Amino acid sequence: MGSFSLLAAYKQEFIDGFLTTLSASLLALVLSLAIGTIIACCRLSQVKPLEWIGTVYVEFFRNTPLVIQVFFFAMGLPSLGWNISEFSAGAIGLSIYTGAFIAEAFRAGIQSVSKGQMEASRSSGMTYFQSMRYIILPQAFKIVIPPLGNQCVNLVKNSSVLAIIAGGDLLYAADAVSSQTFEINMTYIFVALLYLVITLPLSFGVNLLERRLARHS
Amino acid sequence: MIQFEQVNKFFGEFQVLKNINLTIRSGEVVVIIGPSGSGKSTLLRCINRLEAVSEGKLSVNDTDLTDPRANINRLRQDIGMVFQHFNLYPHKTALENISLAPRQVRNIPLAEATEQAQQYLTKVGIPEKASAYPAQLSGGQQQRVAIARGLAMKPKIMLFDEPTSALDPEMIGEVLDVMRDLAQEGMTMVVVTHEMGFAREVADRVIFMDEGMILEENSPAEFFQNPKEERTRRFLSRVLKH
Repeated sequence: MGSFSLLAAYKQEFIDGFLTTLSASLLALVLSLAIGTIIACCRLSQVKPLEWIGTVYVEFFRNTPLVIQVFFFAMGLPSLGWNISEFSAGAIGLSIYTGAFIAEAFRAGIQSVSKGQMEASRSSGMTYFQSMRYIILPQAFKIVIPPLGNQCVNLVKNSSVLAIIAGGDLLYAADAVSSQTFEINMTYIFVALLYLVITLPLSFGVNLLERRLARHS
Repeated sequence: MIQFEQVNKFFGEFQVLKNINLTIRSGEVVVIIGPSGSGKSTLLRCINRLEAVSEGKLSVNDTDLTDPRANINRLRQDIGMVFQHFNLYPHKTALENISLAPRQVRNIPLAEATEQAQQYLTKVGIPEKASAYPAQLSGGQQQRVAIARGLAMKPKIMLFDEPTSALDPEMIGEVLDVMRDLAQEGMTMVVVTHEMGFAREVADRVIFMDEGMILEENSPAEFFQNPKEERTRRFLSRVLKH
């Protein structure tokens, strides 16, 4: 166990990496939820051009590698004269990529609420937006919790893409420490545990929420 | 109050409603019967524009439904609808199901809307179920909450789309009783149903539809005793035999 004390010397690198991973994930989570909501609304829109934009967005960003998308923001944009930090490039790439998956989860959730719910609420004189707000979305939210939980966990793990563009995240710290200490196994196992520190509470939280919301149905 | 003039409706190539002419007056109880796929439900759903008519003229409460500028949300406030599968909001209690539209659409304050909702629950005979969620209610109770939900908007017209078809036989009576009371209070009602006993007893007028057309309309006594059309006689002999 001498190896772990060796790692202790690099405490600051791990703390910085951990905080970078955490903040990139949180930022990307908020952004991808916003993107997902907007794109899902586009896909469900009766307005054809909007539906089209939504579909193209989802199919393009869901079906191309995250690494390429992040490369574009980290290196492609600067080559066009638009400078952007590695952290921002990583967070934006993650948001755009995850947003496509979240949009699909939202769309499926909204569509799985029975058609009769919209008919009943519209019949009572409520507008489309009132029906969405009070009747459809609260029910869709319950259905969407498990797939949304998956997306959150994937998002945290996918944030390791920052390491490739020198984004200073946990995996980046691990690469740096292991190449200096040659303690390859110890370093990466330790970092994997640090990822679990973020993802496990997230998983438990989602399960708890799911059970609490399921109480009445 | 409700007037169809030469209304046609198509689903793609298929014509669901053929040359419908029908006038329903205030306070009338009209029961529509006929085989599955005859267009009864579609006709009913045109009245609050859950379905738009393709051709002809339809006016309800002096609103021309074929006018694209017609204020449909306003129109629907005065028309309650009860569905075959209840369509209660599963995430809301019985009381909330009833008070939601009055609060959101009519801007009635929470306390008042809740009190009124409780009165409607009493009216349909289940005041004790105020805080129950739909999943905790029987089919008959759910449908009674759905009727109360429709009434809470104080509508001028109530539409019933096969309100007892999804119910256990034991629970049909309790729903029909509520509808019978409503008819006696003078509510304008349009009811699509297979309950011939209800039609005979409560209806002012019975309408028989087949293949998208109104084949026959008459008072219930005449309709059931002396059906004019051969198709009506065949239909009645099948549904009344058992």
